[in-house]
Amino acid sequence: MIRFRRAVLWAALIAVILLTALSVHGAFLGADRAQAFFNSFPLAVYWLALTALLIVGLVIFRRLLQIPSLLLTHLGCVLVLLGGMWGSKAGHAMQRQLFGLDKVPKGQMMIREHAENSRVMIADGNEPRQLPFSVRLREFRMEYYEPGSLIIRSRSGQMWDLPAKAGARLSLGDALGRISVQKVFENFKLRKEDGKTVPYDAPGGSNPALQVLIERPDGTATAGYVFEQFSPIFTEPVDLDLSYRRVVRDYISDLEIVQNGQVAAAKEIEVNHPLHYGGYHLYQHSYGEDELGEYTVLLVVSDSGLNLVYGGYTMLIAGVVWHFWGRRALIAIKSRRMIAPRAQQELPAAPERQE
Amino acid sequence: MEIKYTIQGLLIYATIAVYLLAFVATAARQARAGRVSFFAGFALAVLSYAYRWYDVQHVPLQNLFEIFLFLGTICCPISWFCRRILRIGGQWADMLIGAIVLFPAGFVFSAQPMQLPPALQSWLFVPHVAVYMLSYVFMFKAMFQAFEQLMIAPNAERTSLPPEQATYELVAIGFPLLTLGLILGSWWGKLAWGDYWGWDPKELWSLASWLVYLGYFHWRYMFGKIHPRINSLWAITGMAAIIITVLWVNLSRLFPGLHSYAT
Repeated sequence: MIRFRRAVLWAALIAVILLTALSVHGAFLGADRAQAFFNSFPLAVYWLALTALLIVGLVIFRRLLQIPSLLLTHLGCVLVLLGGMWGSKAGHAMQRQLFGLDKVPKGQMMIREHAENSRVMIADGNEPRQLPFSVRLREFRMEYYEPGSLIIRSRSGQMWDLPAKAGARLSLGDALGRISVQKVFENFKLRKEDGKTVPYDAPGGSNPALQVLIERPDGTATAGYVFEQFSPIFTEPVDLDLSYRRVVRDYISDLEIVQNGQVAAAKEIEVNHPLHYGGYHLYQHSYGEDELGEYTVLLVVSDSGLNLVYGGYTMLIAGVVWHFWGRRALIAIKSRRMIAPRAQQELPAAPERQE
Repeated sequence: MEIKYTIQGLLIYATIAVYLLAFVATAARQARAGRVSFFAGFALAVLSYAYRWYDVQHVPLQNLFEIFLFLGTICCPISWFCRRILRIGGQWADMLIGAIVLFPAGFVFSAQPMQLPPALQSWLFVPHVAVYMLSYVFMFKAMFQAFEQLMIAPNAERTSLPPEQATYELVAIGFPLLTLGLILGSWWGKLAWGDYWGWDPKELWSLASWLVYLGYFHWRYMFGKIHPRINSLWAITGMAAIIITVLWVNLSRLFPGLHSYAT
């Protein structure tokens, strides 16, 4: 038995070293190839062997069962491995074959505003798959940090960053003069007024632009427009490269889940705030625009095995924290309590106060 | 090399100078002067970090500049914790570590303020990064102790814990933090990207770092202190993996991935 225990310990150490080496190798492959590598058949054998090794360890080492922190740590690892395998593509195939559970492991869904969709495109699948419910996009919108920036570059390579708000101005030095932002447009459009072409901010749509004035040191001035999506337009050539930059703060899709003709759930999803419904998580993944208008792209991920993984994480961290911090802190406190009365007994008696 | 002629830059350079002064004073056996200088350096580091926080309007842990600024700030309290609570020596090394980690913030990485991209706007952002940084400082200190163990005579007289034991104590403090960082990152990945594990190079290197320390504990359980030098080599290898995770993965084009914004 001692030899067997020794062999299991060595096997555990070798498994750890092997996984370290495989992780380093996987890091050089890039995420997509690494995912394929760690889901390949030989690695599936490795994951199974590692899980079996942990279970064997729990059975044969009484210490692992007697010390709660070690039990939690090792059992946590087992749950994470089981959850990971259950939620993998192979795990989903196995669920279909053994239990008739036909869930889409992972895919993408494109929805236009006010439209409904239940088809999920699988990255490596030929046929789109159907979800047991439909998703309706009420609205997609992007929010930006305010204000944006007017980026100014001189021919000599100097660069300035001016807040894109009306009235902001900046001195560019004696040779270049001054630049100022006159007006900010959310959706820049032109119209004719009394025979003149006049810019205006049209409701809806998006064509962000800045009206800019450049005042040269010789007293002349040039006005123009700097666009986020197009090249700037000035009444005459200028010696500066100008661009209008806004930073996206969030991408938001306002969704409704429709099942049997009824709205079963609704949520505004954004990055870090997915919607969970019917065994799937729906994530804000991407967006786009074509001739038919704007659309959002959702990532649809099955939640199979997730509770096992999260349960494993909880046990793992609880075990590790208790083993390395809690137990030691408790021992330290106990030993202090034991030392303190003894130390008090050993202290010399305090001298009596003399009145 | 980028010299920063700004208030932020001046604060960082002043902190480095005071940390180095503390190191020199300690090396010259002026322990009290060294300790006072170290605390003065810490006060400057806190000021520098607070200034950055005010400047960017969010907790500054977004990029490598802010990460190294944070590391330079937490060195002193961790050193105090190790000296007073764990009875681990090597304060001279902490002063040097403080100056070393602030060097990239002062001279290498850009201090250009950046707004948080959508993925970083999560309550998990600060705990995930902060616990990792705390663990890195403990592991860095453990590496110093491991090197000391490799270099000293086995029967040298000491007032603090012997280096092999000190290495273990430090790794035992840092490992739960490393585990928490890994798990919080995984949880955050699930919320932001849809996967609790994405096989991204940064994730794989951080797993490799965690596994090296896991190997250290198993090895030490199997052999105890029979092979102290090999114990130390495990701790040094773990720190090497952490350095690759923090620096090489973010700076090298060899490892494109989801964590590239953290440069």
